[in-house]
Amino acid sequence: MSTQDSNPDRIALLQGTLDLLILRTLLLGPCHGQGVARSIQRQSEEVFFVDHGSLYIALQRLEDKKWIRAKWGVSENNRRARFYYLTPKGREQLSDKTTEWQRLTRAVGLILDSGGKPQGEEV
Amino acid sequence: MFRRKRSEDDFAEEIRTHLELEADDLRQEGLNEEEARWKARRAFGNVRAAQERFYTSGRWIGLDRLLRDLRFGLRGLRQSPGFAAAAILTLALGVGANTAVFSVMDAVLLRSLPVSDPQRVVLLRTSRSPNNTGTIDSNATFSWPVYDALRHRGDALSQVIATGDLSSDKVGVRIDAEPETAEGDMVSGNFFSGLGVPLARGRGFTAQDEQDHTQTAVLSYNYWTRRFSRSPDVLGTTMFIKGVPFTIVGVAGPGFEGTEAGRSMDFWIPLQNRVEFNVLGNPPENGKLYQQDPTWWCLQLIARIAPGRTRAQALASVQPLFQRAAYVGLGAPMPHERIPVLSFADARDFPGFEEQYGKPLHALMALVALVLVIALTNVAMLLVARNAARQTEFSLRLALGAGRVKLLRQLLTESLLLVAAGGALAWCFALGATRTLARWALIESSLAPDRTVLLFALAVLALAALLFGLAPLRAATAGGAELSLRTSAAAARTDAGKTRFGKAIVSLQMALCVVLLVGAALLTRSLRNLENIPLGMNTDGLVVFGLNPQSLHSEPALVRFYQELQRRLRLLPGVESAAVMQERIGSWWSNNSNVMVDGHDPVLPAGAENLVRENDIGPDFFHTLQVPVLLGREFTDADNAGSQKVAIVSELFAKTFLPNQNPLGHQVNGLTIVGVVQNHKYRSMDEAPIPMAWWDYAQAPGEGGMNVEMRVRDDALAILPTVRKVVAQMDPNAPLIRPTLQRTQFEQTISQQILFARLAEFFGLLAVVLVATGLYGTLAYRVNLRTAEIGVRMAVGARRGQVVWMILRDSLWLTAVGVAVGVPLAMLAGRGLTSSLYGVQPLDALSYLLGVAGVAAVALAASAVPAARAASIDPLRALRTE
Repeated sequence: MSTQDSNPDRIALLQGTLDLLILRTLLLGPCHGQGVARSIQRQSEEVFFVDHGSLYIALQRLEDKKWIRAKWGVSENNRRARFYYLTPKGREQLSDKTTEWQRLTRAVGLILDSGGKPQGEEV
Repeated sequence: MFRRKRSEDDFAEEIRTHLELEADDLRQEGLNEEEARWKARRAFGNVRAAQERFYTSGRWIGLDRLLRDLRFGLRGLRQSPGFAAAAILTLALGVGANTAVFSVMDAVLLRSLPVSDPQRVVLLRTSRSPNNTGTIDSNATFSWPVYDALRHRGDALSQVIATGDLSSDKVGVRIDAEPETAEGDMVSGNFFSGLGVPLARGRGFTAQDEQDHTQTAVLSYNYWTRRFSRSPDVLGTTMFIKGVPFTIVGVAGPGFEGTEAGRSMDFWIPLQNRVEFNVLGNPPENGKLYQQDPTWWCLQLIARIAPGRTRAQALASVQPLFQRAAYVGLGAPMPHERIPVLSFADARDFPGFEEQYGKPLHALMALVALVLVIALTNVAMLLVARNAARQTEFSLRLALGAGRVKLLRQLLTESLLLVAAGGALAWCFALGATRTLARWALIESSLAPDRTVLLFALAVLALAALLFGLAPLRAATAGGAELSLRTSAAAARTDAGKTRFGKAIVSLQMALCVVLLVGAALLTRSLRNLENIPLGMNTDGLVVFGLNPQSLHSEPALVRFYQELQRRLRLLPGVESAAVMQERIGSWWSNNSNVMVDGHDPVLPAGAENLVRENDIGPDFFHTLQVPVLLGREFTDADNAGSQKVAIVSELFAKTFLPNQNPLGHQVNGLTIVGVVQNHKYRSMDEAPIPMAWWDYAQAPGEGGMNVEMRVRDDALAILPTVRKVVAQMDPNAPLIRPTLQRTQFEQTISQQILFARLAEFFGLLAVVLVATGLYGTLAYRVNLRTAEIGVRMAVGARRGQVVWMILRDSLWLTAVGVAVGVPLAMLAGRGLTSSLYGVQPLDALSYLLGVAGVAAVALAASAVPAARAASIDPLRALRTE
């Protein structure tokens, strides 16, 4: 019996991107952990695989940093769940990190795009 | 933050919710109940791992581990409360005693005056005072002209500060209606500013205060606290000192208690020029107060070396000035007179105490160090024994995969716990012991264990922690994991039972115990000798108190005052008799002089000196003390200023100065001898007999302050409130000064010996207890290890007596070695104690016998229980453990 859904198209999240994705998800409104996981998976068109254990650790880390806060509430299907909210500080972080991420991807994109043409031969 | 608010349960709950929500979603996607649950769980991965990560991410691991180790250690100690109590108490007593003695030593020998930049502050000393001068301390007091000359040499000494005693004792003050006593000094205007002593409230003195002799006073912080409960309203209030009103203008900073050795000042006033405030309260000589009288060397001087000068430079530049100033108003020095030489002494908190207490304190420190060594080795041994007994436990844990580091950490934690608990207790013990020591040493200044002492104690403790943590380590891990696999517990343990080290330690402890016991016996026997010295008088029911009536300034008024007082005191119920004397007997003080007998210098037997201790007394004095009058009579009310001048002398006086003749009718200093009394003690209990003479205070120029002796039936001190009332009716400003039992007064002169002997007894006892527990622990442990062996011996026919003897032989052997080492050590120690012994030789056989017998008794007592246990071992049961 296989031990894991081995979908070859899924990629593990880059270090630090999980935080960004959580914050982005919570921007849409308060959500519990399972909802966050589903949302990330769905929105990335099932490309990202979120390790649920790591997700909760990440949520706890963000809570400790006061970027998000949590409250026990009731889910849409009437289960008691812990809902996470974005704090003003978290909102600020999200915009900072988003800018940072965009600059990073642009830079990486630039390098990768130019990388196709060997530079030495242009001369 | 060591722990977040959120609990692990909360986190677990969230994960449970997650799994349910995920399962719900999966069900909606069409999976059946069981599949949905299973898939949700699989998608989550390892739940336990997530919880563990949650647990570890939120805290500082080291602390967490430490807490766990501590909890574990506490549990371990709780399982053996006897061991824990013994170890903690041993540590507390050992370290506490050390801290206390070190505190006193530090204060007396090492601590500087609490002034700013104390290295530049010096106490002025002189080799002697010029001929024909009077001093309070011939090496430490100076005349006004010397002060006046030195203080104008700012280039060498930036400050010269003068202080004068108001009295050799406390003085009478009145703040409310009731008169009280307090200790005060008269000081120059730069006293606070020059020493750099901060003021807690108000202001200090100025040069103007000194020049104008303002009636202002500064209180010590201590007195302010004690008498005024730190009331801020104290500034501006009036305080009557010797009946003269002074306004309180300031409170000195905490910790400063004046510059007088071992005395704690309550207040200071600027230098005064009134009759009441002549230094020591003496009557003016030839109508001159201390400021006009160059023959009276009565001021203590303190100087601050000018910046940029060394002590030697400063001294060299003021020396000629001093030697000139010393003879101002005295005329030129005599032809062969040795000129006084100025010197500087360190401004210690207790100058001069080095000579008096230095040696005993060092000896004490040595005693205490011995106790500490015994205590520390004891605890180490207790730990070794305990941990060796836990060998199987350790082996098992090693076998189960516990790291050696973990075991080491646990051992260290356990000893840390012991040391922390012992240290806390030791500190409490040290606080009390320091106070007691200071009281016994008659140091009035407040002594408390201070920061240096704390550091010292901590260093000792840290060493202890390391020692105790490491000592059992070898025993604990030497066995290794395979030990637990052996079938026989007894066989497993005998491997680790290498007790030669333990035996050596016990012998060492015994040796130290012998030293302490011999020392204690020597000092105790000295003390018995001292206490049984006949005083020559009957001190039962004898009460003494001082008086210094302020309202009287003429001699006849004084005499009338004391006559009236004596009359009123005699009328009190329970009072048998009362009499006055100038110098209080048993207080170290005496008036001394050389005498003329029958108009010329006496012809003295070989070895005798023309030195007589004298006292001014009133009628009924010897009757009150119950000193037998051998010849003639004592003074009566009929002896007065107008009648024949009379004197009384002691037996020894008569024998020395008027041998083989009837002394009655002879003249001493122009006074007629009318009585001879039996020899008795004057200054102290252990003084050698000295010739003594008494003058009638009604015929001698008096100075007002007198001491009163009262013979009282029943409870002697209970009479004091009544006496206070009687005195208050006669002079509302005159409190009773240092009222006490005459016996207590005399015992203060041997307080150092009492202190020393009591401490030695205490430490001796402590050593005995420690050694007994140590020996008991070791033997009990060994018997425990040999259970199987003893069982075999008994099974093959050993009798109980033989088994008991086997165990006893062990401890007797240890004792023999301990005594063999201890006796020579004790001889060395005894030689160090020689100066503190009275009537006992350092090689006193009885003391050594007592010491050795004591150790032997301890050894037998400590072995009795383990031996009995060994004898009662049931051979069958012992063998069954195999």
